Amino acid sequence: MIEMVRRFLRQKFGSPAMVIALSLLAILTAVQGTLSEPEQALGAGFLAILLIAAGSVSRDISGGTIQMILARPIARTSYLYGRYLGILAVYAVFLAVSAALTVLATRLLPTLIGAGTPGASLDSILRGIAIAMANALLFAAILLFFSTFLRGYSDVLAYFGLMIFLGAMPGLGAALRKPWLARAGEVLRSNLLPQVDWSGILRGRGLLGEPTGRWVLAVTAFLALATVIFSRREFSYGQD
Amino acid sequence: MIVVSSLSKTYGRLGRRRVRALDGVSIEVRRGETVGLIGPNGAGKTTLLSCLLGFLRPDSGSVSIGGLPPDDLAIRARTGYMPERLGFDRDLTGGAFLAQHWRLSGGDPREAGRRAAAAAARVGLEGGVLLRKLSGYSRGMLQRIGIAQATLGDPQLLFLDEPASGTDPGGVVIVRDRILEAKGRGATIVLNSHQLPEVEKVCDRVVFLSGGRVAEEQTLRGERPAPRRASIRVAPGRAADAVAALASAGFAPESGSDGAIRVPVASDENLAQALQTLARADVPVFEARSSMDLEDLFRRGGTA
Repeated sequence: MIEMVRRFLRQKFGSPAMVIALSLLAILTAVQGTLSEPEQALGAGFLAILLIAAGSVSRDISGGTIQMILARPIARTSYLYGRYLGILAVYAVFLAVSAALTVLATRLLPTLIGAGTPGASLDSILRGIAIAMANALLFAAILLFFSTFLRGYSDVLAYFGLMIFLGAMPGLGAALRKPWLARAGEVLRSNLLPQVDWSGILRGRGLLGEPTGRWVLAVTAFLALATVIFSRREFSYGQD
Repeated sequence: MIVVSSLSKTYGRLGRRRVRALDGVSIEVRRGETVGLIGPNGAGKTTLLSCLLGFLRPDSGSVSIGGLPPDDLAIRARTGYMPERLGFDRDLTGGAFLAQHWRLSGGDPREAGRRAAAAAARVGLEGGVLLRKLSGYSRGMLQRIGIAQATLGDPQLLFLDEPASGTDPGGVVIVRDRILEAKGRGATIVLNSHQLPEVEKVCDRVVFLSGGRVAEEQTLRGERPAPRRASIRVAPGRAADAVAALASAGFAPESGSDGAIRVPVASDENLAQALQTLARADVPVFEARSSMDLEDLFRRGGTA
């Protein structure tokens, strides 16, 4: 599995386009964290995780790389969880760079533009990193799940599709005067994409609450589904 | 030993045209044997290889390698595989690619660099070439590094799908040498190739697939090799004498369109007898060679 993580890191950091994109995002995050609250800025690294996790499995399948890897003594679960951990490892590096840039910018910006920096304490930065990683655990699991059976970068589209679909269901239910539709939407949304107050939890409030339980279940469910689908998948490149 | 029993595989989902790629295929490959899979496009050769590697699940029938399922990790640890469509991480250098596969195969990471360089040298890729990214490799170089990857760590099982496809004559010789080297150390090899002369040079047996079925099996080497066909070129103007002499000695010669005489022979000794017959008839022989004539097998569509 370590080799799989290493391979993922090499793939992402070996791509100049990816490095440039992540660097720009890290700079934007740092600027935002300096001008507002680092905890919020770092915790909203949604775009970065999409960038890192997109096509994590499907690209290997469509490129034919998967056959050469799975011909080696690598269990399918090791490959899959290696990709998952790889996503998280790259994201952790992104967060570390963003945090370092935030600290740097906190010192430089007041000198350069004379602006005040409302909050760039170490506590706030560490909380931001923790929140971002917690959110990433679920985002990465969802994208990995879609990537096991969709082609190319369709996993990202599917993720947005899921968000839009679940978000629209309550409104649709109200518009159609179908309360059950609205209720079903809320139930699905709170279980598949649970909102957890990580900031509160990091301050010791509600760790064992219902949202945390839903979040654990959602992460587990997406990873379990990804495992089942990927373990049963066939890999071919033609019908000869 | 590889045992394939009544293997069937159909592609296509509900509502789409279903294609039966394999239809009750049964073959056995003995330990240390080199078997060539030949047949026209769409015969099911790659599907069979994919089943042997556990990438595809058969609809019915079974595959076992040494009594274990093909995707057992103990089997994979002894397997080398080269796919027809090489899926590389193109951003990797040739050296990093081989080192990665060395580690993936469970090799000591400390030896990765040395092993990668040695494997590359055996396919004629040395020095600065290994520092270049795979995206800059030619098709022939990719094939070479593909065969280096497959033979990395001297695996006991080799599955090769069109290993010499797209290579120059030098590359073809390198691929052949690597296969013969693996064969020399007792590896069991399944080779899927359209390059019939190469198949004949390295394989002990060929399995002709047609329409997803085993149409014919022929032994090329071993105790009971299949009959071969000799091609004998004699002095100009003496072909008729040669045919008459061979016919009277009990052979069944035919005059070929290229001026050579074709004679079915049971063995190399049988060919020597035919040549002695021509010598006794005072017919000068300029060239004589015998081969399986797999092309003829192709033309006949695998029907004996």
